[in-house]
Amino acid sequence: MSKLVIRGRRRLHGEVTIGGSKNSSVAIIPAALLGDGTSILENIPRISDVAVFAEILKDLGAVVTMDGTTMTVAPNGFVSHIAPYELVRKLRASYYLMGVLLAKFGEAEVGLPGGCDIGPRPVDQHLKGFRALGADVNVEGGVVKLKAKKLVGAPVYLDFPSVGATINIMLAASRAEGITVIENAAKEPHVVDLANFLNAMGARVQGAGTDVVRIRGVKNLTGASHTVIPDDIEADTYMMAAVATGGDVTVKNVITKHLEPVTAKLREAGATIEENGDYVRVIGPERPKALNVKTLPYPGFPTDAQQPLVAVLSRSEGVSVVQESIYENRLGYVSELVKMGAKIRVEGRTAIVEGVPRLVGAPVKANDLRAGASLMIAGLSAEGVTEVYGLEIIARGYEMVDEKLRSIGADVEVRPD
Amino acid sequence: MAEFEETRFFKVKPDREEETREIILKVYMALKEKGHNPVSQIAGYLLSGDPTYITSHNNARSLVRKVERDEILEELIRAYVREAKAM
Repeated sequence: MSKLVIRGRRRLHGEVTIGGSKNSSVAIIPAALLGDGTSILENIPRISDVAVFAEILKDLGAVVTMDGTTMTVAPNGFVSHIAPYELVRKLRASYYLMGVLLAKFGEAEVGLPGGCDIGPRPVDQHLKGFRALGADVNVEGGVVKLKAKKLVGAPVYLDFPSVGATINIMLAASRAEGITVIENAAKEPHVVDLANFLNAMGARVQGAGTDVVRIRGVKNLTGASHTVIPDDIEADTYMMAAVATGGDVTVKNVITKHLEPVTAKLREAGATIEENGDYVRVIGPERPKALNVKTLPYPGFPTDAQQPLVAVLSRSEGVSVVQESIYENRLGYVSELVKMGAKIRVEGRTAIVEGVPRLVGAPVKANDLRAGASLMIAGLSAEGVTEVYGLEIIARGYEMVDEKLRSIGADVEVRPD
Repeated sequence: MAEFEETRFFKVKPDREEETREIILKVYMALKEKGHNPVSQIAGYLLSGDPTYITSHNNARSLVRKVERDEILEELIRAYVREAKAM
Protein backbone atom coordinates (compact mmCIF):
# COMPACT_ATOMS: atom_id res chain seq x y z
CA MET A 1 0.00 0.00 0.00
CA SER A 2 1.18 3.55 -0.63
CA LYS A 3 0.12 7.12 -0.08
CA LEU A 4 0.35 10.36 -2.02
CA VAL A 5 2.01 13.13 -0.03
CA ILE A 6 1.00 16.60 -1.23
CA ARG A 7 2.43 19.95 -0.18
CA GLY A 8 -0.36 22.25 -1.25
CA ARG A 9 -1.04 25.90 -2.16
CA ARG A 10 1.02 25.81 -5.33
CA ARG A 11 -0.59 27.27 -8.43
CA LEU A 12 -0.53 24.56 -11.08
CA HIS A 13 0.79 25.69 -14.44
CA GLY A 14 1.93 24.09 -17.68
CA GLU A 15 0.64 21.31 -19.90
CA VAL A 16 -0.68 17.87 -19.09
CA THR A 17 -1.58 15.19 -21.64
CA ILE A 18 -4.62 13.04 -21.04
CA GLY A 19 -4.49 9.27 -21.54
CA GLY A 20 -7.03 6.91 -23.06
CA SER A 21 -10.45 6.52 -21.54
CA LYS A 22 -10.70 4.04 -18.70
CA ASN A 23 -14.40 3.49 -19.27
CA SER A 24 -13.88 2.85 -23.00
CA SER A 25 -10.91 0.57 -22.46
CA VAL A 26 -12.65 -1.73 -19.99
CA ALA A 27 -15.44 -2.31 -22.54
CA ILE A 28 -13.23 -2.54 -25.65
CA ILE A 29 -10.60 -4.90 -24.19
CA PRO A 30 -13.08 -7.75 -23.52
CA ALA A 31 -14.87 -6.97 -26.81
CA ALA A 32 -11.62 -7.89 -28.59
CA LEU A 33 -12.33 -11.50 -27.57
CA LEU A 34 -15.32 -11.52 -29.94
CA GLY A 35 -13.09 -11.35 -33.02
CA ASP A 36 -11.63 -14.37 -34.77
CA GLY A 37 -8.31 -12.57 -35.23
CA THR A 38 -5.91 -10.29 -33.40
CA SER A 39 -6.97 -6.80 -32.35
CA ILE A 40 -4.60 -3.91 -31.81
CA LEU A 41 -5.84 -1.35 -29.30
CA GLU A 42 -4.06 2.00 -29.08
CA ASN A 43 -4.16 4.75 -26.45
CA ILE A 44 -4.91 2.25 -23.68
CA PRO A 45 -4.29 3.94 -20.31
CA ARG A 46 -1.63 2.52 -17.99
CA ILE A 47 -3.95 1.98 -15.04
CA SER A 48 -4.47 -0.99 -12.76
CA ASP A 49 -8.02 -1.73 -13.95
CA VAL A 50 -6.59 -2.35 -17.43
CA ALA A 51 -3.87 -4.59 -15.98
CA VAL A 52 -6.49 -6.65 -14.14
CA PHE A 53 -8.54 -7.01 -17.32
CA ALA A 54 -5.45 -8.19 -19.20
CA GLU A 55 -4.95 -10.87 -16.52
CA ILE A 56 -8.57 -11.98 -16.85
CA LEU A 57 -8.22 -12.33 -20.63
CA LYS A 58 -5.02 -14.34 -20.21
CA ASP A 59 -6.77 -16.59 -17.68
CA LEU A 60 -9.48 -17.22 -20.28
CA GLY A 61 -6.83 -18.36 -22.77
CA ALA A 62 -6.20 -15.24 -24.86
CA VAL A 63 -2.71 -13.89 -25.58
CA VAL A 64 -2.41 -10.31 -24.39
CA THR A 65 0.63 -8.09 -24.72
CA MET A 66 1.14 -4.45 -23.79
CA ASP A 67 3.73 -2.18 -25.38
CA GLY A 68 3.52 1.36 -24.02
CA THR A 69 -0.09 2.33 -24.58
CA THR A 70 -0.76 -0.31 -27.26
CA MET A 71 -2.42 -3.56 -26.29
CA THR A 72 -2.60 -6.56 -28.59
CA VAL A 73 -5.28 -9.16 -27.94
CA ALA A 74 -5.08 -12.50 -29.76
CA PRO A 75 -8.08 -14.61 -28.83
CA ASN A 76 -6.83 -17.82 -30.51
CA GLY A 77 -6.56 -19.84 -27.29
CA PHE A 78 -9.72 -18.35 -25.81
CA VAL A 79 -11.77 -21.41 -24.86
CA SER A 80 -13.27 -20.94 -21.41
CA HIS A 81 -16.69 -19.50 -20.71
CA ILE A 82 -15.98 -19.31 -16.96
CA ALA A 83 -14.49 -16.03 -15.75
CA PRO A 84 -11.93 -16.30 -12.89
CA TYR A 85 -13.74 -15.11 -9.75
CA GLU A 86 -10.65 -13.87 -7.89
CA LEU A 87 -9.90 -11.40 -10.68
CA VAL A 88 -13.50 -10.59 -11.59
CA ARG A 89 -14.29 -9.36 -8.10
CA LYS A 90 -11.54 -6.74 -8.38
CA LEU A 91 -13.29 -4.57 -10.93
CA ARG A 92 -16.80 -3.54 -11.77
CA ALA A 93 -16.38 -3.65 -15.53
CA SER A 94 -15.68 -7.39 -15.45
CA TYR A 95 -19.43 -7.76 -15.93
CA TYR A 96 -18.87 -7.04 -19.63
CA LEU A 97 -17.57 -10.60 -19.83
CA MET A 98 -21.20 -11.72 -19.50
CA GLY A 99 -22.12 -10.26 -22.89
CA VAL A 100 -18.84 -11.31 -24.51
CA LEU A 101 -18.82 -14.94 -23.31
CA LEU A 102 -22.52 -15.35 -24.06
CA ALA A 103 -22.03 -14.06 -27.61
CA LYS A 104 -18.94 -16.18 -28.20
CA PHE A 105 -19.86 -19.50 -26.55
CA GLY A 106 -23.60 -19.32 -25.93
CA GLU A 107 -22.87 -19.61 -22.23
CA ALA A 108 -21.13 -17.67 -19.49
CA GLU A 109 -20.36 -17.91 -15.79
CA VAL A 110 -19.27 -14.61 -14.28
CA GLY A 111 -19.13 -13.70 -10.60
CA LEU A 112 -21.02 -10.59 -9.56
CA PRO A 113 -18.56 -7.73 -9.96
CA GLY A 114 -16.53 -5.72 -7.47
CA GLY A 115 -15.40 -2.10 -7.91
CA CYS A 116 -15.90 1.03 -5.85
CA ASP A 117 -18.28 1.00 -2.91
CA ILE A 118 -20.61 3.80 -3.95
CA GLY A 119 -23.94 2.09 -3.32
CA PRO A 120 -25.96 -0.68 -4.95
CA ARG A 121 -25.44 -0.98 -8.66
CA PRO A 122 -27.67 -3.89 -9.65
CA VAL A 123 -27.20 -5.73 -12.93
CA ASP A 124 -30.92 -6.40 -13.41
CA GLN A 125 -31.09 -4.31 -16.60
CA HIS A 126 -28.20 -6.34 -18.07
CA LEU A 127 -29.96 -9.61 -17.21
CA LYS A 128 -33.24 -8.33 -18.64
CA GLY A 129 -31.44 -7.71 -21.93
CA PHE A 130 -29.86 -11.18 -22.00
CA ARG A 131 -33.26 -12.75 -21.31
CA ALA A 132 -34.81 -10.73 -24.15
CA LEU A 133 -32.17 -12.18 -26.49
CA GLY A 134 -33.20 -15.71 -25.45
CA ALA A 135 -30.70 -16.57 -22.71
CA ASP A 136 -31.59 -18.52 -19.58
CA VAL A 137 -30.36 -16.50 -16.62
CA ASN A 138 -29.60 -17.91 -13.17
CA VAL A 139 -27.85 -16.22 -10.28
CA GLU A 140 -26.43 -18.83 -7.90
CA GLY A 141 -24.01 -18.16 -5.05
CA GLY A 142 -22.99 -14.77 -6.36
CA VAL A 143 -22.33 -16.12 -9.86
CA VAL A 144 -24.38 -15.16 -12.93
CA LYS A 145 -24.90 -18.21 -15.17
CA LEU A 146 -26.13 -17.55 -18.70
CA LYS A 147 -26.98 -20.10 -21.37
CA ALA A 148 -28.59 -19.82 -24.80
CA LYS A 149 -28.93 -22.34 -27.63
CA LYS A 150 -29.16 -19.38 -29.93
CA LEU A 151 -29.27 -15.63 -29.31
CA VAL A 152 -31.97 -13.89 -31.30
CA GLY A 153 -32.23 -10.12 -31.67
CA ALA A 154 -35.10 -8.45 -29.83
CA PRO A 155 -36.31 -5.06 -28.64
CA VAL A 156 -35.05 -4.12 -25.17
CA TYR A 157 -36.37 -1.11 -23.28
CA LEU A 158 -34.08 -0.06 -20.42
CA ASP A 159 -35.83 1.26 -17.31
CA PHE A 160 -33.06 3.87 -17.04
CA PRO A 161 -30.17 4.66 -19.41
CA SER A 162 -27.68 2.27 -17.83
CA VAL A 163 -24.24 2.48 -19.45
CA GLY A 164 -23.29 -1.04 -18.32
CA ALA A 165 -26.52 -2.61 -19.58
CA THR A 166 -26.34 -0.76 -22.92
CA ILE A 167 -22.78 -2.00 -23.48
CA ASN A 168 -23.45 -5.55 -22.32
CA ILE A 169 -26.49 -5.89 -24.59
CA MET A 170 -24.53 -4.45 -27.54
CA LEU A 171 -21.82 -7.05 -26.94
CA ALA A 172 -24.25 -9.97 -26.69
CA ALA A 173 -26.33 -8.79 -29.67
CA SER A 174 -23.33 -8.27 -31.97
CA ARG A 175 -23.40 -11.94 -32.99
CA ALA A 176 -27.08 -12.69 -32.38
CA GLU A 177 -29.44 -13.62 -35.18
CA GLY A 178 -31.49 -10.63 -36.37
CA ILE A 179 -31.86 -7.11 -35.06
CA THR A 180 -31.71 -5.90 -31.46
CA VAL A 181 -33.05 -2.46 -30.64
CA ILE A 182 -32.07 -0.92 -27.29
CA GLU A 183 -34.42 1.88 -26.32
CA ASN A 184 -33.63 4.41 -23.62
CA ALA A 185 -29.99 3.52 -24.18
CA ALA A 186 -27.10 5.33 -22.47
CA LYS A 187 -25.47 8.01 -24.65
CA GLU A 188 -22.05 8.22 -23.00
CA PRO A 189 -19.01 8.66 -25.29
CA HIS A 190 -17.64 5.24 -24.39
CA VAL A 191 -20.82 3.61 -25.74
CA VAL A 192 -19.99 5.26 -29.08
CA ASP A 193 -16.33 4.27 -28.82
CA LEU A 194 -17.30 0.62 -28.31
CA ALA A 195 -19.72 0.81 -31.26
CA ASN A 196 -16.87 2.15 -33.41
CA PHE A 197 -14.65 -0.77 -32.41
CA LEU A 198 -17.39 -3.38 -32.96
CA ASN A 199 -18.14 -1.88 -36.39
CA ALA A 200 -14.44 -1.99 -37.27
CA MET A 201 -14.62 -5.72 -36.39
CA GLY A 202 -17.48 -6.16 -38.86
CA ALA A 203 -20.46 -5.64 -36.57
CA ARG A 204 -23.39 -3.45 -37.59
CA VAL A 205 -24.21 -1.13 -34.72
CA GLN A 206 -26.08 2.09 -35.45
CA GLY A 207 -27.43 4.89 -33.32
CA ALA A 208 -24.83 4.74 -30.51
CA GLY A 209 -24.75 8.10 -28.78
CA THR A 210 -28.52 8.47 -29.18
CA ASP A 211 -31.20 6.89 -27.00
CA VAL A 212 -31.95 4.18 -29.59
CA VAL A 213 -29.16 1.77 -30.53
CA ARG A 214 -29.77 -0.82 -33.28
CA ILE A 215 -27.55 -3.87 -33.60
CA ARG A 216 -27.88 -6.14 -36.60
CA GLY A 217 -26.16 -9.37 -35.58
CA VAL A 218 -23.48 -10.93 -37.77
CA LYS A 219 -22.11 -14.49 -37.79
CA ASN A 220 -18.47 -13.62 -37.37
CA LEU A 221 -16.32 -10.73 -36.28
CA THR A 222 -12.68 -10.18 -37.19
CA GLY A 223 -9.84 -8.57 -35.26
CA ALA A 224 -9.46 -4.82 -35.76
CA SER A 225 -7.28 -1.83 -34.95
CA HIS A 226 -8.76 0.89 -32.81
CA THR A 227 -7.61 4.01 -30.98
CA VAL A 228 -9.41 4.57 -27.69
CA ILE A 229 -10.82 8.08 -27.10
CA PRO A 230 -9.25 10.37 -24.46
CA ASP A 231 -10.46 10.03 -20.88
CA ASP A 232 -12.99 12.78 -20.21
CA ILE A 233 -12.98 12.26 -16.44
CA GLU A 234 -9.19 12.42 -16.19
CA ALA A 235 -9.38 15.67 -18.17
CA ASP A 236 -12.16 16.98 -15.90
CA THR A 237 -9.99 16.19 -12.88
CA TYR A 238 -6.97 18.16 -14.11
CA MET A 239 -9.23 21.04 -15.14
CA MET A 240 -10.62 21.13 -11.61
CA ALA A 241 -7.13 20.91 -10.11
CA ALA A 242 -6.24 24.02 -12.12
CA VAL A 243 -9.33 25.85 -10.84
CA ALA A 244 -8.79 24.73 -7.23
CA THR A 245 -5.24 26.12 -7.20
CA GLY A 246 -5.91 29.32 -9.18
CA GLY A 247 -3.58 27.85 -11.78
CA ASP A 248 -3.13 28.05 -15.55
CA VAL A 249 -3.09 24.59 -17.08
CA THR A 250 -3.44 23.41 -20.66
CA VAL A 251 -5.07 19.99 -20.79
CA LYS A 252 -4.07 18.28 -24.04
CA ASN A 253 -5.47 15.33 -26.01
CA VAL A 254 -9.14 15.84 -25.17
CA ILE A 255 -12.44 15.85 -27.04
CA THR A 256 -13.76 19.22 -25.91
CA LYS A 257 -17.36 18.23 -26.63
CA HIS A 258 -17.16 15.56 -23.92
CA LEU A 259 -15.99 18.13 -21.36
CA GLU A 260 -18.84 20.58 -21.95
CA PRO A 261 -20.88 19.78 -18.80
CA VAL A 262 -17.81 20.43 -16.63
CA THR A 263 -16.51 23.34 -18.71
CA ALA A 264 -19.86 25.12 -18.34
CA LYS A 265 -19.86 24.73 -14.56
CA LEU A 266 -16.22 25.76 -14.13
CA ARG A 267 -16.89 28.90 -16.17
CA GLU A 268 -19.84 29.61 -13.87
CA ALA A 269 -17.41 29.22 -10.96
CA GLY A 270 -15.25 31.99 -12.43
CA ALA A 271 -12.67 30.05 -14.44
CA THR A 272 -11.51 31.25 -17.85
CA ILE A 273 -11.52 28.35 -20.28
CA GLU A 274 -10.21 28.47 -23.82
CA GLU A 275 -11.16 25.56 -26.06
CA ASN A 276 -9.17 24.92 -29.19
CA GLY A 277 -9.15 21.74 -31.26
CA ASP A 278 -7.97 18.97 -28.98
CA TYR A 279 -6.97 20.95 -25.92
CA VAL A 280 -8.40 23.27 -23.28
CA ARG A 281 -6.58 25.96 -21.33
CA VAL A 282 -8.00 26.51 -17.85
CA ILE A 283 -7.19 29.58 -15.78
CA GLY A 284 -8.56 29.41 -12.28
CA PRO A 285 -9.91 32.35 -10.27
CA GLU A 286 -8.45 33.42 -6.89
CA ARG A 287 -11.45 31.75 -5.26
CA PRO A 288 -14.18 29.91 -7.15
CA LYS A 289 -17.79 31.07 -6.95
CA ALA A 290 -20.41 28.79 -5.40
CA LEU A 291 -22.44 26.53 -7.73
CA ASN A 292 -25.60 24.47 -7.83
CA VAL A 293 -24.98 21.14 -9.54
CA LYS A 294 -26.96 17.95 -10.10
CA THR A 295 -25.39 14.82 -11.58
CA LEU A 296 -27.22 13.32 -14.54
CA PRO A 297 -26.59 10.79 -17.31
CA TYR A 298 -24.55 12.13 -20.26
CA PRO A 299 -24.71 14.85 -21.52
CA GLY A 300 -25.56 16.02 -18.00
CA PHE A 301 -22.95 16.71 -15.32
CA PRO A 302 -21.10 13.38 -14.81
CA THR A 303 -21.36 11.60 -11.47
CA ASP A 304 -17.64 10.74 -11.76
CA ALA A 305 -16.83 14.46 -11.63
CA GLN A 306 -19.05 15.18 -8.62
CA GLN A 307 -16.47 14.27 -6.00
CA PRO A 308 -13.61 16.30 -7.52
CA LEU A 309 -15.97 19.28 -7.94
CA VAL A 310 -16.97 19.26 -4.27
CA ALA A 311 -13.27 19.59 -3.39
CA VAL A 312 -13.08 22.69 -5.61
CA LEU A 313 -16.24 24.16 -4.08
CA SER A 314 -14.93 23.62 -0.53
CA ARG A 315 -12.95 26.84 -1.04
CA SER A 316 -15.65 28.73 -2.92
CA GLU A 317 -17.24 32.05 -2.01
CA GLY A 318 -20.77 31.25 -0.89
CA VAL A 319 -22.86 28.12 -0.43
CA SER A 320 -22.98 25.40 -3.09
CA VAL A 321 -25.58 22.65 -3.41
CA VAL A 322 -24.45 19.43 -5.09
CA GLN A 323 -27.04 16.73 -5.73
CA GLU A 324 -25.95 13.19 -6.56
CA SER A 325 -28.75 11.61 -8.56
CA ILE A 326 -27.01 8.56 -10.04
CA TYR A 327 -25.62 6.60 -7.07
CA GLU A 328 -27.03 6.18 -3.60
CA ASN A 329 -23.81 6.33 -1.63
CA ARG A 330 -21.40 8.65 -3.33
CA LEU A 331 -20.90 11.27 -0.64
CA GLY A 332 -19.01 9.14 1.89
CA TYR A 333 -15.75 10.97 1.17
CA VAL A 334 -17.16 14.24 2.52
CA SER A 335 -16.08 13.33 6.07
CA GLU A 336 -12.47 13.25 4.82
CA LEU A 337 -12.81 16.74 3.31
CA VAL A 338 -14.23 17.94 6.63
CA LYS A 339 -11.00 16.75 8.31
CA MET A 340 -9.22 19.29 6.10
CA GLY A 341 -11.41 22.15 7.29
CA ALA A 342 -14.20 21.96 4.69
CA LYS A 343 -17.68 22.89 5.88
CA ILE A 344 -19.97 20.38 4.21
CA ARG A 345 -23.29 19.00 5.37
CA VAL A 346 -24.82 15.93 3.76
CA GLU A 347 -28.60 15.61 3.54
CA GLY A 348 -29.61 12.41 1.79
CA ARG A 349 -27.91 12.50 -1.57
CA THR A 350 -27.15 16.23 -1.41
CA ALA A 351 -23.98 17.94 -0.22
CA ILE A 352 -24.37 21.50 1.03
CA VAL A 353 -20.96 23.11 0.80
CA GLU A 354 -20.30 26.30 2.70
CA GLY A 355 -17.11 27.60 1.14
CA VAL A 356 -14.18 28.40 3.45
CA PRO A 357 -11.18 30.61 2.59
CA ARG A 358 -8.66 27.87 3.26
CA LEU A 359 -8.27 24.14 3.68
CA VAL A 360 -5.58 22.64 5.89
CA GLY A 361 -3.60 19.53 5.03
CA ALA A 362 -4.41 16.32 6.94
CA PRO A 363 -4.05 12.56 6.62
CA VAL A 364 -7.10 11.34 4.66
CA LYS A 365 -8.18 8.06 3.10
CA ALA A 366 -9.49 7.38 -0.41
CA ASN A 367 -12.27 4.86 -0.23
CA ASP A 368 -13.12 4.91 -3.89
CA LEU A 369 -11.50 6.09 -7.10
CA ARG A 370 -13.15 9.48 -7.58
CA ALA A 371 -13.10 10.15 -3.84
CA GLY A 372 -9.33 9.79 -4.19
CA ALA A 373 -9.35 12.41 -6.95
CA SER A 374 -11.39 14.69 -4.71
CA LEU A 375 -8.94 14.39 -1.81
CA MET A 376 -6.03 14.92 -4.16
CA ILE A 377 -7.53 18.19 -5.41
CA ALA A 378 -8.30 19.29 -1.87
CA GLY A 379 -4.69 18.55 -0.91
CA LEU A 380 -3.36 20.59 -3.84
CA SER A 381 -5.32 23.64 -2.70
CA ALA A 382 -4.77 23.17 1.06
CA GLU A 383 -2.14 24.75 3.26
CA GLY A 384 0.47 22.35 4.63
CA VAL A 385 0.85 18.65 3.97
CA THR A 386 -1.91 16.26 2.97
CA GLU A 387 -1.37 12.52 2.95
CA VAL A 388 -3.85 10.66 0.76
CA TYR A 389 -3.87 7.02 1.78
CA GLY A 390 -5.02 4.39 -0.71
CA LEU A 391 -3.07 5.51 -3.75
CA GLU A 392 -3.76 2.07 -5.27
CA ILE A 393 -7.41 3.04 -5.55
CA ILE A 394 -6.51 6.24 -7.42
CA ALA A 395 -4.18 4.23 -9.71
CA ARG A 396 -7.20 2.20 -10.82
CA GLY A 397 -8.29 5.11 -12.98
CA TYR A 398 -5.50 7.72 -13.17
CA GLU A 399 -2.27 6.86 -14.97
CA MET A 400 1.03 8.16 -13.56
CA VAL A 401 -0.86 10.63 -11.44
CA ASP A 402 2.15 11.77 -9.39
CA GLU A 403 4.28 12.32 -12.51
CA LYS A 404 1.54 14.23 -14.28
CA LEU A 405 0.90 16.45 -11.26
CA ARG A 406 4.61 17.17 -10.84
CA SER A 407 4.80 18.11 -14.55
CA ILE A 408 2.39 20.97 -13.86
CA GLY A 409 4.15 22.21 -10.78
CA ALA A 410 2.58 20.23 -7.94
CA ASP A 411 4.74 19.19 -5.01
CA VAL A 412 3.73 15.54 -4.64
CA GLU A 413 5.47 12.28 -3.94
CA VAL A 414 4.53 8.65 -3.49
CA ARG A 415 5.56 7.05 -0.24
CA PRO A 416 4.96 3.61 1.20
CA ASP A 417 2.05 3.54 3.63
CA MET B 1 -17.10 57.80 -50.30
CA ALA B 2 -17.03 57.29 -54.08
CA GLU B 3 -15.80 53.77 -53.67
CA PHE B 4 -19.18 52.74 -52.20
CA GLU B 5 -21.22 54.17 -55.07
CA GLU B 6 -20.49 51.18 -57.27
CA THR B 7 -22.73 48.14 -57.10
CA ARG B 8 -20.89 45.42 -55.28
CA PHE B 9 -21.43 41.69 -55.18
CA PHE B 10 -21.09 40.04 -51.81
CA LYS B 11 -20.65 36.29 -51.88
CA VAL B 12 -20.78 35.22 -48.25
CA LYS B 13 -22.97 32.13 -48.09
CA PRO B 14 -21.46 30.20 -50.99
CA ASP B 15 -18.03 30.47 -49.32
CA ARG B 16 -19.46 28.85 -46.22
CA GLU B 17 -21.00 26.16 -48.38
CA GLU B 18 -17.64 25.63 -50.01
CA GLU B 19 -15.96 25.35 -46.60
CA THR B 20 -18.59 22.85 -45.45
CA ARG B 21 -18.06 20.80 -48.61
CA GLU B 22 -14.30 20.78 -48.10
CA ILE B 23 -14.67 19.68 -44.50
CA ILE B 24 -17.05 16.84 -45.41
CA LEU B 25 -14.59 15.58 -48.02
CA LYS B 26 -11.56 15.84 -45.72
CA VAL B 27 -13.39 14.04 -42.91
CA TYR B 28 -14.61 11.39 -45.35
CA MET B 29 -11.08 10.74 -46.60
CA ALA B 30 -9.60 10.63 -43.08
CA LEU B 31 -12.18 8.03 -42.03
CA LYS B 32 -11.55 6.00 -45.18
CA GLU B 33 -7.78 6.10 -44.66
CA LYS B 34 -8.26 4.71 -41.15
CA GLY B 35 -10.36 1.81 -42.47
CA HIS B 36 -13.76 3.04 -41.24
CA ASN B 37 -16.98 3.11 -43.22
CA PRO B 38 -17.11 6.89 -43.75
CA VAL B 39 -20.81 7.07 -44.59
CA SER B 40 -21.85 5.17 -41.49
CA GLN B 41 -19.47 7.14 -39.25
CA ILE B 42 -20.57 10.55 -40.55
CA ALA B 43 -24.23 9.49 -40.25
CA GLY B 44 -23.56 8.47 -36.64
CA TYR B 45 -21.99 11.86 -35.94
CA LEU B 46 -24.87 13.77 -37.52
CA LEU B 47 -27.42 11.78 -35.51
CA SER B 48 -25.69 11.90 -32.14
CA GLY B 49 -23.46 14.97 -32.27
CA ASP B 50 -20.68 12.92 -30.69
CA PRO B 51 -17.24 13.56 -32.27
CA THR B 52 -16.19 10.07 -31.10
CA TYR B 53 -17.52 8.94 -34.50
CA ILE B 54 -14.88 10.98 -36.28
CA THR B 55 -11.24 9.90 -36.27
CA SER B 56 -8.56 12.24 -34.97
CA HIS B 57 -6.47 11.22 -38.04
CA ASN B 58 -5.51 14.28 -40.14
CA ASN B 59 -7.19 16.52 -37.58
CA ALA B 60 -10.63 15.40 -38.85
CA ARG B 61 -12.22 15.47 -35.38
CA SER B 62 -11.37 19.13 -34.84
CA LEU B 63 -12.26 19.98 -38.41
CA VAL B 64 -15.77 18.55 -38.28
CA ARG B 65 -16.63 20.80 -35.35
CA LYS B 66 -15.83 23.95 -37.33
CA VAL B 67 -19.23 23.70 -39.00
CA GLU B 68 -22.58 23.02 -37.38
CA ARG B 69 -24.25 19.66 -37.97
CA ASP B 70 -27.25 21.34 -39.62
CA GLU B 71 -24.90 23.01 -42.12
CA ILE B 72 -23.43 19.61 -43.00
CA LEU B 73 -26.91 18.12 -43.39
CA GLU B 74 -28.04 21.01 -45.60
CA GLU B 75 -25.01 20.61 -47.83
CA LEU B 76 -25.60 16.85 -48.09
CA ILE B 77 -29.25 17.40 -49.08
CA ARG B 78 -28.30 20.09 -51.59
CA ALA B 79 -25.71 17.78 -53.17
CA TYR B 80 -28.15 14.87 -53.23
CA VAL B 81 -30.87 16.90 -54.94
CA ARG B 82 -28.38 18.37 -57.42
CA GLU B 83 -27.20 14.87 -58.29
CA ALA B 84 -30.74 13.44 -58.50
CA LYS B 85 -31.87 16.27 -60.81
CA ALA B 86 -28.89 15.74 -63.09
CA MET B 87 -29.75 12.08 -63.61
